[in-house]
Amino acid sequence: MSIYAVNYLCREVLRDHAFRAAMKADPAKALAPLDLTDEERRVLLAGNVGTLFRMGVNGFLMGYLARFEVCGLNVETYNQRMRAVKVDEIGQPVA
Amino acid sequence: MKRDGPDCEIARLFGAQKERLAAVRPDLIVMFDTDHLNTFFLNDLPVFAVGVDKTFKAPNDEPRDVPKYTVKSLPELAAHIRNAAIGAGYDVGMTQNFSVDHSITVPLHFLTPEVQVPVIPFFINGHIPPLPSSQRCYALGQTVARAIASWPEHLRVVIMGSGSFSLEVGGPRMAPGRSDGVLDPDWAIKVIKLLEEQQTERLITEATEHQMLKAGNVGGELLNWIAMRGAIGNRKPAYVAPQMQNGHAYGVWQWN
Repeated sequence: MSIYAVNYLCREVLRDHAFRAAMKADPAKALAPLDLTDEERRVLLAGNVGTLFRMGVNGFLMGYLARFEVCGLNVETYNQRMRAVKVDEIGQPVA
Repeated sequence: MKRDGPDCEIARLFGAQKERLAAVRPDLIVMFDTDHLNTFFLNDLPVFAVGVDKTFKAPNDEPRDVPKYTVKSLPELAAHIRNAAIGAGYDVGMTQNFSVDHSITVPLHFLTPEVQVPVIPFFINGHIPPLPSSQRCYALGQTVARAIASWPEHLRVVIMGSGSFSLEVGGPRMAPGRSDGVLDPDWAIKVIKLLEEQQTERLITEATEHQMLKAGNVGGELLNWIAMRGAIGNRKPAYVAPQMQNGHAYGVWQWN
């Protein structure tokens, strides 16, 4: 269920304006009450969306992190980090 | 390319459709659409679903410069369509008290004044594999058309399909510096050609899950066009205008 939680919080950045504001102000504090693994929390706070994608997080949903500029992301950094992920012909990550 | 304002390319392409739509004076729009995990989510993801309510809210994902609407619908007919589809072997889900995202709202915003025409949304999962097959979506469209035809009240009904043929949004195959990218423009051009030439059988044969996902993480939105084609029959379009910056097209089919 944990990757589900990451996917869900990405959409909450769109839906819940209070959560969006909290993520912009202090993401570590905003993520503290959520049921995430230590790795998910660390990777999220570092804005390592490429790693999250390889862990199974949905790319479309993670786009909200860049759109609303949380976890140090913007369109440019998001683009660079996602494009660094090697994928197969249908967009699935490869080793 | 100018992307905003009344004279931008998108407004111009929608404008040509808007004129034709107004001339038809529709009583109802049935819209095949792929929800972007906004009406539904990963905890309740249907392959097919119908919105069944008197009204629904739009949009729920904050597209730029699009106002909020309460869209009217026809819940009895929506339920009739769902019943007919289930009777024909399609296990179609249902949502009530729902909202929809930009993929329904933006076309309605540009095409229907004040969004006053009732709309029945028919959701097809075109994003999260496994996708339904093109063959099944085409046949489902035919079933939806038969259901509408069997409704006792005479209505002028417009069928819409909304979505891209080739686009990656937020995934690793985006174009440099952007939040999206058209991965397979040749495929998008081929889809448009097959639509124009009424080569429906070839279209649904070639539109495999692999091909649609190869064309982008939202490439499965083509299924909405295929279902629409099933619903209206293998007719010749008035036109299909490519819009290659987004890997899709604006088309109209019209008959008496």
